[in-house]
Amino acid sequence: MARDIYAYKCQRCGHLHYPYRMVCKACKENEHNEFDPVPLPKTGKLVTFTRLYNLPGDFEVPELVLGIVELENGIRITGQLRIDAPKNGMTVRGEVEVVRTEGYDHHYGMVFFAS
Amino acid sequence: MREVYAVGIGITTFTRLEYPLSEIAAYPAMMALRDAGLKDVDHLYVANMGAGRVNHQTGLASAVVDTLSLSPAGADAIENGPASGASAIKQGFMAVASGMHDVVLVTGAERMREVNNLEATEFVATLTHPLAEYIYGVTLPSLAGMFTRLYMEKYEVTARHLAMVAVKNQNNALLNEYAHIQQEITLEGILDSPESMTNNPYVADPLRFFDCCPVSDGGACVILASEEVATRLGKPLIRLAGVGQATDTHAVQEREDPTDLLAVRRAAARSFGMAGLEPANVDVAELHDAFTILEIAESEEVGFFPKGEGHLALERGETSLTGKLPINPSGGLKGRGHPVGATGVAQAYEIVLQLRGEAGQRQVPEARIGFTCNFGGFGNNVVCLTFIREN
Repeated sequence: MARDIYAYKCQRCGHLHYPYRMVCKACKENEHNEFDPVPLPKTGKLVTFTRLYNLPGDFEVPELVLGIVELENGIRITGQLRIDAPKNGMTVRGEVEVVRTEGYDHHYGMVFFAS
Repeated sequence: MREVYAVGIGITTFTRLEYPLSEIAAYPAMMALRDAGLKDVDHLYVANMGAGRVNHQTGLASAVVDTLSLSPAGADAIENGPASGASAIKQGFMAVASGMHDVVLVTGAERMREVNNLEATEFVATLTHPLAEYIYGVTLPSLAGMFTRLYMEKYEVTARHLAMVAVKNQNNALLNEYAHIQQEITLEGILDSPESMTNNPYVADPLRFFDCCPVSDGGACVILASEEVATRLGKPLIRLAGVGQATDTHAVQEREDPTDLLAVRRAAARSFGMAGLEPANVDVAELHDAFTILEIAESEEVGFFPKGEGHLALERGETSLTGKLPINPSGGLKGRGHPVGATGVAQAYEIVLQLRGEAGQRQVPEARIGFTCNFGGFGNNVVCLTFIREN
């Protein structure tokens, strides 16, 4: 089953949020939970990235490429990149995969590939 | 509101310290009490970020107030990430300005070297957004790396400009006996020579080893008091004239222009506004250079230079110790070190020292107005302070 990362649409004014917040940034009118989850698109453009060599202890890899991607609908998301030679502005396609494992906890997040 | 003055200062060496966290907080407080000529205070604020997580100690303020035999004075710990120090000074300012207290001691301390480098980086990374950043392995250096890449592209900042900040601040640190890094570096050694890739490897590209501040232990203290107390103590009158704070989105990706540091811009404007001053009035500044790019970007956002021109002012030498506006004479976070909870207080320590004219070899001549910018998270919670020497 394909997994998704969700943005949250305010039921009062329609403003789309990612990540989730409890009060709408645009109208500040909504009550708790007055958001509809909307799956984020998977393709977009790479805004910026870094190759990180000093990783938190639970990553058992020598380096990690991280980036910020502007998705088709204008929402920006931080994710891991599996791209050999990333370049700002390139088109990327995402998939939801396990991005971090802490003991028995698997955290899912967006991983981007060159498209 | 009443006027608030800095009447006493103290600091530890920033390095790896082998004594308990509560003593790292208490030692500079003892120095500051002696400096001010005081034996008692009305209230104490302890700035710290990691006591519970890194040092397995909670209730730090209660430990410190008793270590100093200052009971029954009130005591609170203040946590605002790497801006905990200036946040605690802000609390002290409000307590004195409101008339609730006459003398408030603000001490900041951190003991991060108790854990290894990976754990320290991981501990600071817990500041990032838990779901939108942290789970991906995002750390503060990685946020700074992504920011730097965009900044270089947009404003033609080069690796040489970044290295120039590192050289300037580490060389300033050589004039500061309390600074963590006591190592002279050159552009040749960290950038131009064939050995530079070994000397200065990438940490979060385009940021390299010498673009990042060290992980330090250390403490710093500033005592704040009412005008009546300050006048009675007879020290030079250094007034904390402006306190400004502002926040921005938790996740960096959400910022409309990811090269803007809006919280810095707003906190600085509020601080200058309260003090009735302009950025052009400042004689000496301590900016939060956890990464070299931040000194350049903050020097623009606080209003010293137009946006995109901070690196040009650096190139012209305006921010060096002998320049028009010396930035980070103490060595900054880069040279003095960055024990997160202590940093904001250490910045204020340096400014008070400079305005008193007691900074020795790194004294900025005739400095009368000083400014600090303490940057929490990756720019999501920023506190700026403006100090004026009155007599």
